[in-house]
Amino acid sequence: MTGSLLLQSLVLGVLLGGLYALLAAGLTLYFGVMRVVMIAHSAFLILAAYLAWFFTRQTGLDPMLSLLFTVPLFFGIGVLMQRLLISRLRPATLTMMSVLLTFSIALLIEGVLGFAFTGTHRRIRLPYSGAHLEFFGASIAVVKLIAFGLAALSLAGLYILLKRTRFGQALRATMQHREAAQLVGINTDRVAGFGFGLGLATAAIGGTALALDSTIYPSLHWHWIGPLMAIIVVGGLGSVPGAAIAAMALGLGQSLLQIPLGTTWAQTFFYLALFATLMLRPQGFFGGRLAQRF
Amino acid sequence: MPSDSDLVTVPARARTSTTTRVAKVLGLLVLAGLVISFPSLAPDSFILSVGVVIASYAVLATSWNFVGGFTGYISLGHAAYSGLGGYGTALLITRADVNPWLAMVAAGVLVAAFAVPVGIASLRVRGASFVIVSIALVLILLLVFQSWGSFTGGSNGIRLPRPFGDDVLRPEQHERFFYLHAALLAVLLLCWWAIDRSRFGMGLKAIREDEDKAQSLGVPTFTYKLVVFVISAFFTALGGGMYALWFGFLDPIFQFSILVGSYMVLMSLLGGIRSLFGPLLGAVIVGYAMEFFKAQYGDTQAHLIAMGALLAIVVLFMPDGIIPALRGLVNRFRPQAASIREVSAAELAEQRRAAEDTGGSERGEKEEVRR
Repeated sequence: MTGSLLLQSLVLGVLLGGLYALLAAGLTLYFGVMRVVMIAHSAFLILAAYLAWFFTRQTGLDPMLSLLFTVPLFFGIGVLMQRLLISRLRPATLTMMSVLLTFSIALLIEGVLGFAFTGTHRRIRLPYSGAHLEFFGASIAVVKLIAFGLAALSLAGLYILLKRTRFGQALRATMQHREAAQLVGINTDRVAGFGFGLGLATAAIGGTALALDSTIYPSLHWHWIGPLMAIIVVGGLGSVPGAAIAAMALGLGQSLLQIPLGTTWAQTFFYLALFATLMLRPQGFFGGRLAQRF
Repeated sequence: MPSDSDLVTVPARARTSTTTRVAKVLGLLVLAGLVISFPSLAPDSFILSVGVVIASYAVLATSWNFVGGFTGYISLGHAAYSGLGGYGTALLITRADVNPWLAMVAAGVLVAAFAVPVGIASLRVRGASFVIVSIALVLILLLVFQSWGSFTGGSNGIRLPRPFGDDVLRPEQHERFFYLHAALLAVLLLCWWAIDRSRFGMGLKAIREDEDKAQSLGVPTFTYKLVVFVISAFFTALGGGMYALWFGFLDPIFQFSILVGSYMVLMSLLGGIRSLFGPLLGAVIVGYAMEFFKAQYGDTQAHLIAMGALLAIVVLFMPDGIIPALRGLVNRFRPQAASIREVSAAELAEQRRAAEDTGGSERGEKEEVRR
């Protein structure tokens, strides 16, 4: 193994980890506000990627411009989903039934995508698709850098929103203790809806970033949901920084293992990490009191 | 020494319970008759093969319901166990030259052993992790069975020899496998029924209703969950193995597919996970609908949309399933209870008094006999 190859996969691992971190943050938001394991997250990711691809094919503009309408659209869908569907479920069986409900939404999205755009593999052709940056002997595709930049910017934005604003405070209070949040005058239903919307907005951004440099097809979301689920369990359900750190660590691990093992076997790394975490530390490595019960 | 509560039987209640018992026995007989006569009623071999598919789904859904129905833990990844059962059977036959039926049972035992560590990992914490592990397991197995071509046949799949000789023709084959599936289903239903009535089943249902309270009442929740999980995996593997013997060909994409696991969930949920025959009813409805869809629209994405929509409707509007809904409908035409309790306090006092009269004399008679 040469040094530049190692460096290259380290950099690619960080770039991939950034995207994972953004998406895992979304999953953590859903779980935090509603105790919902959102299986449809990656289906929305692929939906956003398809919207970006469709936007570029129809208008010829840069796919990143599609964010201008996909982010508000997904935010709205998220709020509506929480208000109209998730909140209808009985609290006693919420965790299990919400999994099934979001699973059925994932199937619906996959089916509709297959119906509308067929199962053909799609890819956006961009003038800068083939461009590379040389970095101490490692060559990094520009689109991957852009995708990472998008993810990092949105994560930073999300962090500031959660830590610095009144809404972020209310959201974190709702995640920590719903009743107590209600007692201090927070409209937890509305906050939970917005939390859901924010989570889905991360899928919109992640999907656009994904569309920049990968081939997309309707059933691709199954390849994403497994790693994402593993990340939130390893990080500890409900912990945003935990999810981000786990995403980075696992993304790096996958990227490094690809050299000796190849792409397919490297993916099993996520699942091994998942099983190891549940055996050694079932609440995850950064999860607190919240994770222990789920 | 019989306790007082054993003796409290009211004549009115006793009469309704005998009629319902007769109705139940009759219903069972009709069901058994339908199952036994189905192969001779089926007009052609295609319908017969659809019957086998539905019977296989019923076996899988009922196996799933050992975990889902008793503990309320929804596993979306039971396809892992049916797929492993099928592959285990196939590999034992082709690589080790084991007798097909022995291979099926051996594969079931191996899968049950495999389910122990998986259960330990996924059942230590509540719900969410269990679901995540169940999905992850299917995805990991799909990866492994696709990539490990030298051992599993990889993406090309694996072909099984027919368990019956070559002189047994296709329709005859379907008929035998239909009966075999039905027999396995009968065993499963009997087991489910037995667990349902046992102390073990009571503990499992307590976990479903409130795991914290069950634990504080002394139910060994983790052990119970693990045991029923392993039982469920074993039966699911048997179902998968039998399907593999019938179908004769395994492809990892279809064996380790989350869709197959979610079919089991949908069927059980639609019929009613708390009812013995819920998964069977669900399997008949969904299995028939699926075959109809395939015949009408071919292999398009339409079945995904239909499946997703149906699952969402069931989860949102009737999470208890068809059988409890029907039971509620029947109960509406029965004499209504005065309060939400099954018997009001006044009725209870009446029953006690009646029981004291009759029960007292009965006890006297028994003592006479004993003397």
